[in-house]
Amino acid sequence: MSNPKNPTSSPMSNMVGESWVTTKLEVLEDWAQRNSFWPFPFGTACCAIEFMSTVSSHYDVARFGSEVVRFSPRQSDVLLVAGTINDKMAPVLKKIYDQMADPKWVISMGACACSGGFYRAYHVMQGIDEVIPVDVYVPGCPPTPEGLIYGILQLKEKVLRDRRKHARHDAKEQSEPDKETIERVDAGSTV
Amino acid sequence: MIQTTTPPTGSPGRPMLRSPHPADLKPYRPGFWERLYLPLFIGLMVTLRHFLRNLFNPGSRYTIEYPEQRRNYSHRFRGHHILTTRPDGSVRCVACFLCAQACPAECIHIEAGEHQDENIEKYPVVYEIDMLRCVFCGYCVDACPEEAIIMSNNYDMAYFNREQSIVGKGDLMKPYTFDEEQLGYRPRFPEEDAKRSRMRRDAFDLVTAAKEAQAREEKKAAAAH
Amino acid sequence: MSTLAPPSETLPEVSPAVSEETATDFTAAAADLAVILATGKFPAGSITAVPENAGLDQTTWIVDRDVLFDLAGELKTNPATRYDMLLDLCGVDYPDRAERFEAVYHLLSLPRNARLRLKVPLQEDDAAVPSLIAVWKGIDWFERELWDMFGIRVDGHPNMRRILCHEGFQGHPLRKDYDAARRWILTEDKIYQPKFNLSEGGDDLFERMAINIGPSHPAMHGTFRLMAILDGETITASEVEIGYLHRCFEKMAETHTWNQVIPYTDRLNYCSSFINNVGYCKTVEKLLNVEVPPRAVWARTILSEFSRIMDHCVCNGTTLVDTGGLTNFWYLFQPREEIYGLLESCCGARLTVSYGRIGGLSQDLPPDFMERSRKLLEMIPPLVADAEKLVDKNRIWIDRSVGVSAISGEEAVNWGWTGPCLRASGVAYDVRRAHPYDLYDTLDWEVPVLFGGDVYDRFRIRMMEIKESLKIIRQLLDRGMPEGPYIVDDPHVALPPKEACYTQMEAMIYHFKLVMDGIQVPAGETYQMVEGANGELGFYVISDGTGKPYRIKVRPPCFPIFSTFPRLINGGALSDAIATLGGLNVIAGELER
Repeated sequence: MSNPKNPTSSPMSNMVGESWVTTKLEVLEDWAQRNSFWPFPFGTACCAIEFMSTVSSHYDVARFGSEVVRFSPRQSDVLLVAGTINDKMAPVLKKIYDQMADPKWVISMGACACSGGFYRAYHVMQGIDEVIPVDVYVPGCPPTPEGLIYGILQLKEKVLRDRRKHARHDAKEQSEPDKETIERVDAGSTV
Repeated sequence: MIQTTTPPTGSPGRPMLRSPHPADLKPYRPGFWERLYLPLFIGLMVTLRHFLRNLFNPGSRYTIEYPEQRRNYSHRFRGHHILTTRPDGSVRCVACFLCAQACPAECIHIEAGEHQDENIEKYPVVYEIDMLRCVFCGYCVDACPEEAIIMSNNYDMAYFNREQSIVGKGDLMKPYTFDEEQLGYRPRFPEEDAKRSRMRRDAFDLVTAAKEAQAREEKKAAAAH
Repeated sequence: MSTLAPPSETLPEVSPAVSEETATDFTAAAADLAVILATGKFPAGSITAVPENAGLDQTTWIVDRDVLFDLAGELKTNPATRYDMLLDLCGVDYPDRAERFEAVYHLLSLPRNARLRLKVPLQEDDAAVPSLIAVWKGIDWFERELWDMFGIRVDGHPNMRRILCHEGFQGHPLRKDYDAARRWILTEDKIYQPKFNLSEGGDDLFERMAINIGPSHPAMHGTFRLMAILDGETITASEVEIGYLHRCFEKMAETHTWNQVIPYTDRLNYCSSFINNVGYCKTVEKLLNVEVPPRAVWARTILSEFSRIMDHCVCNGTTLVDTGGLTNFWYLFQPREEIYGLLESCCGARLTVSYGRIGGLSQDLPPDFMERSRKLLEMIPPLVADAEKLVDKNRIWIDRSVGVSAISGEEAVNWGWTGPCLRASGVAYDVRRAHPYDLYDTLDWEVPVLFGGDVYDRFRIRMMEIKESLKIIRQLLDRGMPEGPYIVDDPHVALPPKEACYTQMEAMIYHFKLVMDGIQVPAGETYQMVEGANGELGFYVISDGTGKPYRIKVRPPCFPIFSTFPRLINGGALSDAIATLGGLNVIAGELER
């Protein structure tokens, strides 16, 4: 339903045409969207435990609209990668990301997800941005729940900014890992 | 009801704790009340008690409402790094590379240059920490012989791209006398020596502590005007 | 704990399989070689004993590969030796030796509380060992890991393929000539697909379904893949795949100095990270032969027990979440937050503490440690009691957990189980009692044991252990904090105090050498264990005299436990499988290192 001339417009305005009503509806829609991120906690390791602390009563990320953590990629809009992603998990991560519907965002939580952390090793992906685009990187090992909430708030700001600039991030339309990465790593690059 | 029993004879030992289990009794027959699912009301009473208590007594809520309230982490917290400076404003680090060597993540990158003062032979021309590699273990602080790198209790860090996360000397440098409320993991804790003699005896409730910290902030802000 | 009905008159006896004697050194197995050779079944020279290390390390025999299978059977069945549990199997690579590889087996005899190590040297071009699955079922996954990491074939293994590294991986990473950072990309076509026979058994009326659960699945804790054949709701066949969190701890340990490995150990069992620190530091301290000061020992014991409480809270909380009781999760996570406050005041981090150092602790205890700990002792019991009240007499929980995936004590021992899961099956084995370390043998506490062996018992035993841990902490706090240093006073082991470092040249030099080169641990090897929250967490450490470890093998308690998972769930319902997985407390960081 997207308008090829303005791919960021909402389906409503495509049907009815641009007008004051639909512009305000878009504002409402975007406000609702960024205040109700439903995270998909792709939690593998220690950061998942800190994520569990974030959803627990001490920090309660539900105050920011993330009351439901949806373990289905079809029902969530933020992919929260918490924990080390290694080369065995990379195709799974890519598949989950591809299955999520637009608009979707990715928060990379923790040193391992952002960059591989201190695991410069034979089985660990050196950052999930090898396979999926990342919107917010939250450093820490693991980041404190406040740090994660700060990251979510930064994502909210980013979504607001992107809306104002009419820019949405575009997803890599691939289902295989990058050919260049494969060639480079197979040739023995350890980066 | 917990029962203890003595182990088989012939060897000294301590009694092991055991307790009866429904499957010990063959066959398992739930009692009359259990069959009616009535003991579920006990659970409902527990949750109702929590609900009513939280509803009518705001102080009993465990939630820390970040970002308006901040948790009062200790002064040993391992947060964002700080490169300390001398009184004249130059960096205290002498580019000895001990922190770079001690770091298990190899996230510290230093390039050394010659310092004009002969007593301080070197200084870091480039000092970068890759915040996304850093595991906040504090080994750099342990390794530094000059107390040039310490950590603050700042945990608010998020970046939008990898380039932003490489933090350079300019962002890391802070005067050593800077706000002591924000200091974290260091080699020495002078405030503790004072505290060891006069220790607080009252509650260490984290939420109250967070609220007190917030009240202090507000008072400071009000006093500043 | 409450009862549902009056207890019966005759309760089952404490399993006689566990020795009541505690061992403080490793001499119990010293006479076994004579017993074995006296049977006459083994040719002379095929088994030789390595000279005793004065009881500091286990009895070690060098065994020929050809007699290994018979020896294993003999050790298990001979009434004088009775090695009923295999703890660990690992490989070691010695590229300088003529016989390049060594397969190292660690055995434990529960009735005699004796430990034995078998080493089988292997040539590089003929690196194969016979499979010992017929003797100890739990060796299954260890043998697959031996192949994966070293390329040592295991003849007779039913499923000889990689376990931790992915299917597209080439090479054997723990060999010394493998570059630590050399990666391989896994493409879709190489992902493992199980070969199940769907038409086997069953009737023609209903079709069976092959289902893949995980690895990205909430009940699978994010990193386990269960492939099951379902006949309606019943699982008729299943296979488990792991390796989705293999983070190469053992290779990283070989490329970092002794102290730098400590942050890596944190991330093994990340729910109770301090216990891993203690286990590792204890092992290296044994090799160094240093004695930890009493203040550090006291603090280590208390913080280990707090970590154990934290871990049991997570396990029980997530078990209940997986079966539908979300409220308990909130209630049980609050004790964790409170304990985080204590740990954070000690070392600056909540979860991955890195508080231990070889020789003691990294920092002295904070001045408010006693008050904070006492406050925790008051805060935790009401929250845990609330969580218990919700499920104690709850028929829904009882129906879902009583009798589900029950396993007998004998079978659990054969599979290599340790920890609360084993104690829920009637076997009263706890490393803190059997092989006391720190202050455990000076305190008054009990080892809880239950006999059902099902999910209900595994849940309850963790609740009982939380209470025992609180008892231990209370006694230690009542004793008072010992004065003195928090780390050993040896400049070759511990960093000198900062004041000395700033002012004295000698301290500065020791500091520099320790940071740059690492602690120079004398050459040798040892296996030491602690009671982790899941069971016996063992570290087999080999040093070649330099500042970096030569080989570290972690004996993860949940590795053999999780290998039992298909046997536990086959024949049960799918929902029972989920409840079972929660109760086993499998932590992926520890499972896959």
